[in-house]
Amino acid sequence: MAVIGIESSAHTFGVGIVEDGKVLANEKEMYRIGTEGMIPNDVAEFHIANSGTVVSRAIEKAGVSRKDITGVGYTRGPGMGPCLHVGLLSAKTLAKRLGIPIVPVHHGIGHIEAARHFGGMKDPVALYVSGGNSQILKLDAKPFAHYRVLGETFDIGVGNMLDTFAREIGLDPAWGSTVDRLAQSGRKYVELPYSVKGMDFSFTGLMTKAVTIADTLSREDLCFSLEQTAFSMLCETTERALLLTNSGEVSVCGGVAQSQKLREMMEKMAKGHGAKFGCAPNEFNADNGGMIALVAEQMLRRNLDVALDKCDIEQRYRIENAQVVR
Amino acid sequence: MIIGEGAEAKIYSVDVFGKPLLVKVREPKEYRIRELDISIRKSRTKREARIMDALNRNNVPVPRIVAAGEFSIYMERLSGRLMKDSKHSAMTMKKVGRVLASIHNIDIIHGDFTPANVMLDGGDVMIIDFGLSDYSKDDEQKAFDVLLMKRSVSPAMYRIFRDEYVARCRKGGQILGRLAEIELRGRYQTRTLG
Repeated sequence: MAVIGIESSAHTFGVGIVEDGKVLANEKEMYRIGTEGMIPNDVAEFHIANSGTVVSRAIEKAGVSRKDITGVGYTRGPGMGPCLHVGLLSAKTLAKRLGIPIVPVHHGIGHIEAARHFGGMKDPVALYVSGGNSQILKLDAKPFAHYRVLGETFDIGVGNMLDTFAREIGLDPAWGSTVDRLAQSGRKYVELPYSVKGMDFSFTGLMTKAVTIADTLSREDLCFSLEQTAFSMLCETTERALLLTNSGEVSVCGGVAQSQKLREMMEKMAKGHGAKFGCAPNEFNADNGGMIALVAEQMLRRNLDVALDKCDIEQRYRIENAQVVR
Repeated sequence: MIIGEGAEAKIYSVDVFGKPLLVKVREPKEYRIRELDISIRKSRTKREARIMDALNRNNVPVPRIVAAGEFSIYMERLSGRLMKDSKHSAMTMKKVGRVLASIHNIDIIHGDFTPANVMLDGGDVMIIDFGLSDYSKDDEQKAFDVLLMKRSVSPAMYRIFRDEYVARCRKGGQILGRLAEIELRGRYQTRTLG
């Protein structure tokens, strides 16, 4: 039984195929973001133009025939409405044409479960960091199995902060990762607003200050200071969650988890408490269809499929409202 | 002798000139760079010591601070049990509400106001661990102190705590109003499938 997963919540149209927890294919096309950021309708059109090819490519790569596919999962949310609709439409088309069950998946759960799957963990404290999201989560069994938010950003996601900062000071596209690359050659640390409260944090004050002092030091040192401050905030709050929950495992996932620096810092923090650290390969930290297929396969085993006419999207789909199955 | 470890600090039990004391030491964190690490540990130790001193001077029942170093705070050692490990009576809840009101009345917030940070000794109630505390006039921050206790005790016990808190706290009614607002936010709602 092979399950196909479709992801389209933001700039990536991704299709993954999974069989018994093994990812057979994980294909994607990414919309290239210009200086104006992401315009939802333009991104959706990009997804429409690419959906057919990416689906065919994934099926070919996986080496399965269409009739081997026994189920389809898609990202229900959170994300940008027009983009989510394209994924929903692709998934419904497949479900109808192949006569297979369809199941909606929460985007964040896709990331967390991928990290858990590849990191070989049971029930970690999960740091989920991307452009739009920055949360610390842990599975809670009541009243149904769901991820409880232990801490989260008060304003913007850390990825959004790094991207916006990079645009403000005129760095090249692929902004967040450019900050990460420049930070590697930074040496001098300049103190910046460090804003945590318990297990929550906020990033706008930090970003504004960094932009204000941009002309007073080298870009490398500035990026280094900004990244160190932001990542230390994330490590500290996750550390607090780790001790509070007595969990012996820590994972990190989402787009910003592609930063090796963040993974190193998180691993050091976990080791300091004798906890296990794990994460997924970077192809699963970026948005992708494989993680959606992984979760969909689990959900379909529990017969959590939804009638075609009941399938929808939810732009602000809260992670606590999504049922987790293992 | 080490007697406790939190995310931020270790607690040691020591005798100084025959006096039983506790030392709270903020230890270095390997994962962050040295400059930031030192700055965070210094400023938080300083803030915590100042707040404890302010509470001592206002006769709020918290441990008496004896001395503070750059990264360490020396305080009197308490006897008794944590509220989270003991049964709490209506009288206890009333006293906890009264103490929180007296903390908020001098514009200090605790930051982690749960039964894990309340010590009971006979009939006495003491509030401990001001590691996350701060000076604040903000209703929202005060409401969070109330919210944390609300989520840690039974509804009946909470009502006793709340009634005493409102009666004693200068802006109690306003703060509870804010609490109701906070509870409407997605993250704090009771979960339903959907």
